Amino acid sequence: MLSIVADEEGTMAQASAWLARLQRDDLTEADGLEFEAWLEADPTHRAAYRDALAAWQAFDTCADDVLEELAAQERRGARRPAPSRRWLVSAGGFAAAAALALALLPPMLTSSAAQTYATGKGEHERITLADGSVVDLNAETRLTVSYERSARRVVLEDGEAIFDVAHDAKRPFTVAASQRVVRVLGTQFDVRNRQGELTVTVARGKVQVEPADAAATDRAFVLRPGQRLAIAQTGRAQLQSVDPQETFGWRVGRLVYRGEPLENVVADLNRQFVDQIEIADPELGRMPITGVIVVDDQDAVVQRLSLMLPIRSVPSERGLLLLRK
Amino acid sequence: MRAFFEKRENLLLFLAARTRDMATAEDLVQDLYLKISALDRDADVRAPAALLYRMASNLLVDHVRSAQRGARRDAAWRREAVGGDGTHEPVSGAAAEEAVIARERIRQLAAAVADLPPQMQRAFRLHKLEGRSQAETAQAMGVSVKMIEQHIQAAIRHLAQRLRT
Repeated sequence: MLSIVADEEGTMAQASAWLARLQRDDLTEADGLEFEAWLEADPTHRAAYRDALAAWQAFDTCADDVLEELAAQERRGARRPAPSRRWLVSAGGFAAAAALALALLPPMLTSSAAQTYATGKGEHERITLADGSVVDLNAETRLTVSYERSARRVVLEDGEAIFDVAHDAKRPFTVAASQRVVRVLGTQFDVRNRQGELTVTVARGKVQVEPADAAATDRAFVLRPGQRLAIAQTGRAQLQSVDPQETFGWRVGRLVYRGEPLENVVADLNRQFVDQIEIADPELGRMPITGVIVVDDQDAVVQRLSLMLPIRSVPSERGLLLLRK
Repeated sequence: MRAFFEKRENLLLFLAARTRDMATAEDLVQDLYLKISALDRDADVRAPAALLYRMASNLLVDHVRSAQRGARRDAAWRREAVGGDGTHEPVSGAAAEEAVIARERIRQLAAAVADLPPQMQRAFRLHKLEGRSQAETAQAMGVSVKMIEQHIQAAIRHLAQRLRT
């Protein structure tokens, strides 16, 4: 019974993927031929595609009316709490895909010119700050920047970013994340603050990481190029030598892992794609992965994963389920 | 020509991806048929299927372009005929009932769109409802075209599930 449901959902996912692909701006005969091959591959494909098509075309004759209605709903619903709880129940984990667009939120009351930047799933954003410093934001990242006369302060609330900081000795540049402060001169480094774990990797210059609370007894660390500091949620710190370019790889869609548990790799991938990957059993999630994953097309990525580990994937309600082969 | 009849339904489904309804797709299949009959009978077509899909893709490109022009003209005409505020009184009882049903349908569709996660919803609105190309949508949202296709795919899946019941 379960397998039939999974199959049906898989077919529906394929049908939707085809319909989306046929919307490409540069549609060619190759798309047509492959589409036909898929249609003919199984009699259920045609029916699923017609279902998807019906939903798609339902909007065609009344797109403007639907837009107007949406605008009207938004005006009425400005007071409404979080965007519809129904969604959470019906689609389970998909609510996680409720990502923030790059948003310029109103400045906080306490600070004169704080700006918040946020990226959603699969989004990378490069921001150039007033002093010429450049920050690359990874997916699902949120940070606040406030520049004052004698300080440049960034708060990395969640996520990962690479900072390329313009030198200005009179205005120290600090990044606060996970109860630590990263203090820099002119330098390039990556800060990652996810699930309570903080890592700082330095490519150039010198960086100091210290407890945000001056009274704390935790020690401070000074990092030099090629060093990475990882501080676990428990407070345990580990300093190691790394190739910074591996850590910076996400900026160009390359994730490099050395003995990283599969569950962490999957968590990274799930920030890049709409369809979410789940791991069937926890033991599988702990298997280590070493290698480079190029993040382009999700199917191709999963394909590559299955070459690194004895796993296979099946479609699931949220996206994909990884199973032991 | 034989290839055409064997593949007629596939071609119809291919074309329907970009038309407003099945009837319009049928019209396009008919156009395709006329174009193929006009081809030189003796021409040696080595890959008939590829040729068919090439012609179908070209037909679609033209169709999408002229449909957009037509839609804009229709909208302009409607604004003029109806008056600035877009409201009009239905004349007969039957028309009134029809208008109520249409109203309800639009509310349903809008609610289904409103329930999509924000990024997916934005992609769907820009691409499907506002009629921007995938590339334009990608640019407006600052993400890759690939990502837009993923959002659209996921949106279709959700909407199909929601609207089926």
